[in-house]
Amino acid sequence: MIGSVRSGAQPRCALVVEGLSKTFAGPPALDRFDLEVAPGEIHALVGENGSGKSTFIKILSGYHTPDPGGRVVVDGEPLDFGSNESSWHLGCRFVHQDLGLVANLSVLDNLSLHGGFPTRFGTIRGRTAVAEARRDLQRVALEIDPLTLVEELPPALKTGVAVARALRLQDARPVKLLVLDEPTATLPENQVEQLLATVRTVAANGIAVLYVTHRLDEVFELASNVTVLRDGRKVATRTTASLDRRQLVSLLVGTELDEVKAASQDIHTRADEPILRVADLTAGPIRGLSFEAGAGEIVGVAGITGSGRDYLLGALFGANPRDGGVVAVSGDPLAPFSPRRSMESGMGYLPGERTSLAAIMSYSARENLTLADLQPFWSRLHLHTKSETAETRTWFERLRVRPGGAFEAQMSTFSGGNQQKLIFAKWLRRRPKVLLLDEPTQGVDIGAKAELHRQVLAAAEGGAAVVVSSSDVDELVALCHRVIVLRNGRLVALLRGEDITVAAVSKESLGAGEEVYQ
Amino acid sequence: MAGKRSRGLSLGMDRFSGLYLWALFILIFGIWKPHLFLTQNTLHSVASQEAIAAMLALAVLVPLAAGQFDLAVGSTINLSAIMVAWLQTTQHWGMWPAMVVSILVTTAIGAFNGFLVVRIRINSFIATLGMATVIAAIQSIVTGQSQPQPPVSSAWNELTQRTVFGFQIVFLYLIILAFVIWWALEHTPAGRYIHATGGNPEAARLAGVQVDRWSWITLTFSGFMAGLAGVMYSSLSGPSLTFGQSLLLPAFAATFLGSTQLKPGRLNVWGTMMAVYVLATGVQGLEYVTGVQWLNNMFNGVALIAAVGFAGWRQRSAATKRPRSEEPLAEESPPGGVAVPVVQAGGLAEPSPAG
Repeated sequence: MIGSVRSGAQPRCALVVEGLSKTFAGPPALDRFDLEVAPGEIHALVGENGSGKSTFIKILSGYHTPDPGGRVVVDGEPLDFGSNESSWHLGCRFVHQDLGLVANLSVLDNLSLHGGFPTRFGTIRGRTAVAEARRDLQRVALEIDPLTLVEELPPALKTGVAVARALRLQDARPVKLLVLDEPTATLPENQVEQLLATVRTVAANGIAVLYVTHRLDEVFELASNVTVLRDGRKVATRTTASLDRRQLVSLLVGTELDEVKAASQDIHTRADEPILRVADLTAGPIRGLSFEAGAGEIVGVAGITGSGRDYLLGALFGANPRDGGVVAVSGDPLAPFSPRRSMESGMGYLPGERTSLAAIMSYSARENLTLADLQPFWSRLHLHTKSETAETRTWFERLRVRPGGAFEAQMSTFSGGNQQKLIFAKWLRRRPKVLLLDEPTQGVDIGAKAELHRQVLAAAEGGAAVVVSSSDVDELVALCHRVIVLRNGRLVALLRGEDITVAAVSKESLGAGEEVYQ
Repeated sequence: MAGKRSRGLSLGMDRFSGLYLWALFILIFGIWKPHLFLTQNTLHSVASQEAIAAMLALAVLVPLAAGQFDLAVGSTINLSAIMVAWLQTTQHWGMWPAMVVSILVTTAIGAFNGFLVVRIRINSFIATLGMATVIAAIQSIVTGQSQPQPPVSSAWNELTQRTVFGFQIVFLYLIILAFVIWWALEHTPAGRYIHATGGNPEAARLAGVQVDRWSWITLTFSGFMAGLAGVMYSSLSGPSLTFGQSLLLPAFAATFLGSTQLKPGRLNVWGTMMAVYVLATGVQGLEYVTGVQWLNNMFNGVALIAAVGFAGWRQRSAATKRPRSEEPLAEESPPGGVAVPVVQAGGLAEPSPAG
């Protein structure tokens, strides 16, 4: 294999990775990782949070130095580990999630800040600069006036500009490899196609593209090969033609979702005795929505960004205002903008934005856990910290929060998955009759995800009505007894039982008129 | 684990740095001017001189814990001190009715501040800054810019100047008030809700905390506390038309300094009390040494900037160390479906951690 890399006559790999490991503390973050990407190939790299993707990319960019023994070869030249310059000189370019564009400057300025302005006697040569910028943009098939301000561009074009900037020719260093780190994570669905076109153009120029993503549809649409990472190890590299989505999911997360689905089907649901009743709800983008959820039932909410999916649960709980309609728990109608009132009638709400809405980061784990109900600890003019700690301990153990025993550690010091477990525990403590979960497993590692799924199932089994809103359709399919699909603020489909499939949910989410994924 | 232990140790150094500084002051000035500085007299006079400033710091502390600035406390304490004297000498009221009415008026002012902040939705910084000058104007209208005579009665002087264990009783009042506020902030659900409101109001609201109510209550309390401190001041030192404003900045300085002590990162009562008295000790010692006029201001200002700057630097260096060792855990992905994140619109090159 090394021989083929070294022999100049044959088309050699743009990127060869062999036996790459990285250990921080405890188990390796990346364990003997191998990868090959050919010039012009779009290679997808997928893995859950904590699988080692970011560690790998940071080794490629020269940020991390790997454990001794591994090697990375870019177009026949070995990468000097831990060196930004080496990575750059070998032709590796990176577009991170945070694009690093200055919003209130023009496209031209953003391109030039990176690569320098053409000058004569210290003065910027305006016309030359514009021409160069236009050429850079055309290379990735973007027709944008270079003088447009970046903040005026739609999100996909911003990412496109970041790609154009990364590919800018400098010092006659040819670009061999473009790494895109979850470029579509923050794009609205209807913008994705634009970006994919940009990526295809890049690859057509003979540049190898390593495409990191969470969205499995893109893997099949864009990439010829896909490599799956789990717990720091490479699980498989396959051609996308030889895989279907279901197989890819099981490579990613193992059989976890199958187990969730089996457990979910075993729950005795009582849809005939609705606990949560929503009638003719109008709130934010949502128009005239009605649905019910019964004891033991897990109801999913699907829809693209802007469909009202990410607004709905907050509106039910009173985090977001409601304009009309009725929300009732066990026949008890709730005030439109009062979380406190909703809690009194037995509702719990896990917001989607964890750091800004779900927890008080300056509070300790214990204080966050008990904030929603302090009554049991308050007697004889004193909050009894000891019994608080005892209760905190039981929840730490029940949800396997790590680091164990860190009851007094500030919330901000926990990893995303463990924060989410603590926020779950905060609501489970109150034994809610209705549990509203907004993106319950977003941005958490695979172990925490399984734990959170177990807790959702346990809550339903305990007789709660659970409503889960998620952009992860595979998760909805596994967890839910029914799925309501929103489009443009309206309920367009109610799927149940066997009808709940990824294909069906995606089709209904996008609607007939907007075939984004062909 | 080793890293954890060393962090705990260095935190200990941070948390009690004020105590070490205090000990250092006492040591230096004790050696330098032993006959002046190391006396019971110094102890007693510093304790009661600073009691009013410390009470005002407590008035600032409570709304600040809920995330609300009360910049009106300076005017409020002044109004209260003037009013309680004016009611007694000009209006010939009794001591107790004058005190009750003065404190009621300032409590009402606090409640009105709360109304502006919670109902009218004016930022507390702006609302109370505006109210500060309005209150000063009202004081001028009532008194006609002439300082009322101090009430002449032994009961009035005894109120704060009676000696208990060598201390003027005003110091004892301070200890009691500090104790009650400490209890309320640290050992009651109310305190938990107030700190939560200050920590993240929206997250607190979504956890069922009535954030508006607590903001209002703390601002009202601040008015009450400033009124009480004003009455004490009037009894201790006699009415003054202007003293209040000069106490405002030191009160904030003490609360901010205090938040770097004992429970770093959280506004707390005993840290604040310590800050007041550490600074006072330093100023007192320097006065014995030099006696120049500008010392007080210079010392307080420099100490505030240095201490808060140091605490911030410690926090940042701790924050930049952490992610490297916990790299695999810190791997976080941003919201999958959220439209356009702020970072993209803001467009700064440096990736900033959420929150």
